[in-house]
Amino acid sequence: MPLQQLNSNTFEEMIYDKGKPCLVIFSRKTCHVCKQVVPLLEELQPKYEGVFGFYYVDIEENAGLFQRFSLKGVPQILYFNEGEFQGKHAGLVDEEKVEEKIAAVQEA
Amino acid sequence: MEDANNSYDLIIIGGGPAGLSAAIYGGRAKLKTLLINKGTLGGMADTTREIVNYPGTIKVSGPDLMGDFAKHAESFGVEFLKDEVVGTDFAGERKKVTTKKKKEFFAKAVIIAVGNEPRLLDIPGEKELQGSGVAYCATCDAEFFEGEDVVVIGSGDQAIEEGMYIAKFARKVTVIVLHDEGILDCNKVSAEGALRHEKMEFVWNSTIEEVLGEESVEGVKIRNIKTGELTEFPCQGVFFFVGMIPSTQFLKASRLEMDKRGYIPVSEQMETNLEGVYAVGDNRSKYLRQVVTAASDGATAAVAAERYIEEQDSFQLKVLQSEKKVLLLFFDAFNHESLEFSTSLEEVNLELPESYKIVKIDMATKKNLAHKYQIDKVPSVVLLEKGLEIKRLNCCTGKDKLKSQL
Repeated sequence: MPLQQLNSNTFEEMIYDKGKPCLVIFSRKTCHVCKQVVPLLEELQPKYEGVFGFYYVDIEENAGLFQRFSLKGVPQILYFNEGEFQGKHAGLVDEEKVEEKIAAVQEA
Repeated sequence: MEDANNSYDLIIIGGGPAGLSAAIYGGRAKLKTLLINKGTLGGMADTTREIVNYPGTIKVSGPDLMGDFAKHAESFGVEFLKDEVVGTDFAGERKKVTTKKKKEFFAKAVIIAVGNEPRLLDIPGEKELQGSGVAYCATCDAEFFEGEDVVVIGSGDQAIEEGMYIAKFARKVTVIVLHDEGILDCNKVSAEGALRHEKMEFVWNSTIEEVLGEESVEGVKIRNIKTGELTEFPCQGVFFFVGMIPSTQFLKASRLEMDKRGYIPVSEQMETNLEGVYAVGDNRSKYLRQVVTAASDGATAAVAAERYIEEQDSFQLKVLQSEKKVLLLFFDAFNHESLEFSTSLEEVNLELPESYKIVKIDMATKKNLAHKYQIDKVPSVVLLEKGLEIKRLNCCTGKDKLKSQL
């Protein structure tokens, strides 16, 4: 299932207002590394249904969000809990790393 | 466990141009073919913006060309699986591969086409600042360095061509080169373009030792390899293009022969040291790593695999399942004695009350069978009944003694 897309408004709502633990991948259509990482998150998503959010930000459509976290490069996965930034993964990652990080965020 | 659903003639590991070409040839030869690929199809070629040297195609993007390769393979009935091979068992006649999603597949032959991956320099700051100024992909990330100073490490095709692409956005691109002034590893056209480029500068005889910065890249520490001198160079981005390593680590336990760097040496038919296992494309030892040579490798291996499978199948039918007892005669067309012996054996066989089925194996072309029966000289004869070895004949005797052995 495709990840839920966020724009700057929904980003505020999901990350800060609701504050549930989640990850957000910053990605773009023309990036081949993103094309490897995004499907991996899509596959993991159902396993965490209801306990950990999976979101997607297209940086070409939401340049402001990207600048706000002073990111340089895609893909980057940012982790949040209770509206607080919990760390990130840049570039190519595998599901084990993502799952480890999710577990760490959940425990924190 | 092997069943009809996970059993194939040919399994191809890797879906770049080499693997896809092998798939096209395998599919067209009506082999039941499975291609297992971990990422997007197309491999390294899929990450290439522009391909201008694939014959017959003047200019095409990597993803477009690879999309066509994949469609072509699909049109011949090749099955595709998105998964990663993590384990192999190539010892027996049935080759087994195990994937990350814990699936098992079996095949008569396997073609390894897993390609290359970028080498990491593994210097302080490289990992920590990845995504915060340290980058490996210009297409993905160059735009984020609009108006900034960027350092590129390396001087191969990729480094120089990607460097020029980054220069479209960056204020200045500084290329760190190991060699003496004026020497770049890349092709001449790109070298000339880069050396003339007004936004590109070069630091010769140098490498970098550290990426500097806390939250994001603030500079690099450059070492001059001739003088040993260290200088700090301010920049906001660092792109690493320091060569590639073969993605063959998962094969370490397979007894597959590899060189020190992990490349797989092969014969002209792309055969590895293991029977029925072939290696093609960037993961084999070779002179030129391009789409056109990858495609050539794939075609060669698929045809070699097809013949190997045919040989296995016909041996199964003609010899192992034969109702009659079989005399397996190993000969060599260039060995006169073995040819003469062959004639005597035929004659003796006709004189027997119950004749045998004689199957002649040319040692020069059927190395696999010679190996299987551990034959090291010609002529040699193995007597088989229902596929099982009964005995070996003493071939250094006259007709009468030969007859007495049968």
